Amino acid sequence: MALLEINALSVRFGGVAAVTDVSLAVNSGEIHGIIGPNGAGKTSLINAVTGMVAAHSGSIRFSDKEIAGVAPHLISSLGLGRTFQHVELFGDRSVFDNVLTGFYRHQSYGLLAAAFRFGKAGQSERKTREQARLLLEAFDLTAYADTRAGLLPFGIQKRVDIARALAAEPKLLLLDEPVSGMSESEAEAAVTTMRKLAREHGITLVVVEHNMHVLMNLAERVTVLNQGRLLASGTPAEMQANTAVIEAYLGDAA
Amino acid sequence: MTWRIILQLALSGLSIGSIYALVGLALVLPFKASGIVNFAQGEIVTFGAYLALILSGLGLPYLAVVPLVLVGAAMFGMATERLLIRPIANQPEFTLVIVTFAIGFIIKAAIRLHWQDNTFSIDAPFVGPPLVLGALRLNPAYLVFILGTVVVVAALFLFFGYSKFGKAMRATALDPIAAKLMGIRIGSVFSAAWALSTMLGAFVGLLLAPVIGINPEIGHLILKGLVAAVIGGFSSLGGAVVGGLLLGLLETYAGAFFGATFKNLVPFGVLILLLLLRPQGLAGASSVRRV
Amino acid sequence: MRARVLLILAGVVLLAALPLVATSYYLYLVELAMINVIVAVGLNLLSGNCGQISLCNASFMGIGAYCTALCTTHFGLSTLIALPASVVVSALLGAALGYPARRLSGLYLALTTLGFLELVGIVIEEFPEYTGGIRGLKVAKPDIFGLSLQSNAALYFFVFVLTIAAVVVGANVQRSRYGRAFDAVRQSPFAAQALGIPVARVKVIAFSLNAAFAGFAGGLLSSVVGFIDPPEFGILTSIQHITFIVVGGLGSITGSIVGAVALTALPEALRGVQEYAELIYGLILLGTLLFLPKGLVGLAARLELLRPARPLTEPPAKPTAKEPVYGAP
Repeated sequence: MALLEINALSVRFGGVAAVTDVSLAVNSGEIHGIIGPNGAGKTSLINAVTGMVAAHSGSIRFSDKEIAGVAPHLISSLGLGRTFQHVELFGDRSVFDNVLTGFYRHQSYGLLAAAFRFGKAGQSERKTREQARLLLEAFDLTAYADTRAGLLPFGIQKRVDIARALAAEPKLLLLDEPVSGMSESEAEAAVTTMRKLAREHGITLVVVEHNMHVLMNLAERVTVLNQGRLLASGTPAEMQANTAVIEAYLGDAA
Repeated sequence: MTWRIILQLALSGLSIGSIYALVGLALVLPFKASGIVNFAQGEIVTFGAYLALILSGLGLPYLAVVPLVLVGAAMFGMATERLLIRPIANQPEFTLVIVTFAIGFIIKAAIRLHWQDNTFSIDAPFVGPPLVLGALRLNPAYLVFILGTVVVVAALFLFFGYSKFGKAMRATALDPIAAKLMGIRIGSVFSAAWALSTMLGAFVGLLLAPVIGINPEIGHLILKGLVAAVIGGFSSLGGAVVGGLLLGLLETYAGAFFGATFKNLVPFGVLILLLLLRPQGLAGASSVRRV
Repeated sequence: MRARVLLILAGVVLLAALPLVATSYYLYLVELAMINVIVAVGLNLLSGNCGQISLCNASFMGIGAYCTALCTTHFGLSTLIALPASVVVSALLGAALGYPARRLSGLYLALTTLGFLELVGIVIEEFPEYTGGIRGLKVAKPDIFGLSLQSNAALYFFVFVLTIAAVVVGANVQRSRYGRAFDAVRQSPFAAQALGIPVARVKVIAFSLNAAFAGFAGGLLSSVVGFIDPPEFGILTSIQHITFIVVGGLGSITGSIVGAVALTALPEALRGVQEYAELIYGLILLGTLLFLPKGLVGLAARLELLRPARPLTEPPAKPTAKEPVYGAP
């Protein structure tokens, strides 16, 4: 049974079909790539899976539960996380606070406990702050801990975005164009991190990219979208040899 | 309940509804042009009334006062837009809302500083004894309100539909970037929208001044204008007009049948119901952002 | 950090000693300022941190005031019961407003709160048997454990202690996961949702919390003043409250305190030019919005007069010699 199963999914905005009849399955522990030229519907697909956009038809199953139509924060609570193409950090708070916020759903003390600083709240805060500190260390962000997130260079913001998403301890992480805007070396480092996440921490990754080169080194299986439809799917090598796929990319810098 | 009374109430409702429609229009105009709601619009009405007071105090007859007030208001609107609104146009909505409130606050405070809370009055040719038309007795002021609104709406229709600048404004409201790329000077469009809306507000002040008197609290009717605009979905000028008229009728009939308390509750009941159930109003598209 | 704590302690001690030197009028003024601090702290959590605009804050203050008045005067309950009851009632009504409004934002939210404000005003006027209508309502002095707080000093300490409690609660909430959730909802609802933060529910909580603070302040106000005057709970007061947090600094507890104190003191300072008070107030609000978007606290930070507990720094100029490659093979 696949961890994430998408069946005949369609997403429409008004009269425009962003995604039409797409099916794919992601197995637990896999690194799955979703690739396609600009406008292929990749981000709409992610938005539908994470519940931020309504699916027009079709089904999305995560951990054997139907999540189409479920509220986004509940989907996240099931263990589905995501990072954003345009990062979406909490710009005027520090990097540390950004990552700390990621731990929200693992803290359980109530408002009254917070207001009067009951023992439960204090303990939870201490523990979580320590966890956040360690997470920052793991991502080499300690030097930036007290820096306002909005001031950081884009590449580092992306790192914070990933760290923050991991704080929520997702089982499956959807990464929306994680290396776009990064330099060559930053991108390499990011790829290495992602591989480490999958191998050592057992997090299933779904990486959306339009850069084929990156995915070829990273993904085990790839789904290719074009103009909202499923074009092909298989191993990266198969995709590179697939004529339809190559045609779709003609004229697109790959 | 005779037909005569129903008709009288209808006239009364339409006439006060016309006022609401004008204020609603004045609110929707700059919103369509630049996405900003001018919460000082009520005080603009007050401003128009007091400007009329000043000019009429100088001995000018009402009909001479009208164009002068409109011009003065237009200049005030343009100045406000350039100096106070444009610099902060990119700030979060919170700031924009409060800024316009602050402007209104300042206008009202300045007025109260000079004239205190006294009520003044000015003369106008349309204030007089009721006209008798068959079995109906019509307050001439009511007729002027309705007529005035018809004229304004017709003028706006012609302006936006057929004049070059009017079309430029519509283009800017739809897509400011595209408009800019086509060579439309959107800065001028914004200024014009504010000037128009300020003129509208002042016009309302001009109409109301001889009828209900001039005092700092006139501006309170911005709330009615807001409801009218919301009924119209805040995206349609025609909708604001319809909304205003509808509100006027609803209020008048509610007051006649159910008493003053109910009458007061109508606008806010309508507002809250619409905002919660159908924010796009009766006319607007269903694109109100819901996070 | 040390200096900051000492400063706060000094301030608290000074304030505590005030009844020894100040006249009853000045005590009254300081009490008003403290009540405004409570209001500002609550509003800042909603608007500054959570970014939700509310034009009906004064209504919740009024609800708290009337609730306390009714409990003490009508039902003869002690203030120690009346105040918490007011807080609960206000919080519930805050949630009642926040819940249907949770999906609205910007203009439409502002209008909804405006509608609520007007509605509450109408209810106050139309039910004079309970509210005294437009003529207002007399309120008994606070009654604790049967002891009526008649002396100025006793009343002052009552308000003083409760204000400190409110500020501490506000600061606690802001530093808790709820405060972080508020900021997240303001800055990026999408990212917040992706992290499992229930955006709509958080907004309702923010509204409810704000109403609780305002209701608490209102209850105190009615006890201190001894009289409730309906015009006090209109749009002008709501704008005043917003001015407190805008001038002080959005999203900052210190800002709430500074703004509330400064703007409560201002009308007093303008006594000599009473008629100009309103105008100056409006100009200050406008000026701050145009030129000081981060408020006085922001200005102080820029001038480096105030070091926030953990300063938000510029990014290090040269992060590391080479790009970090974590998890290198």
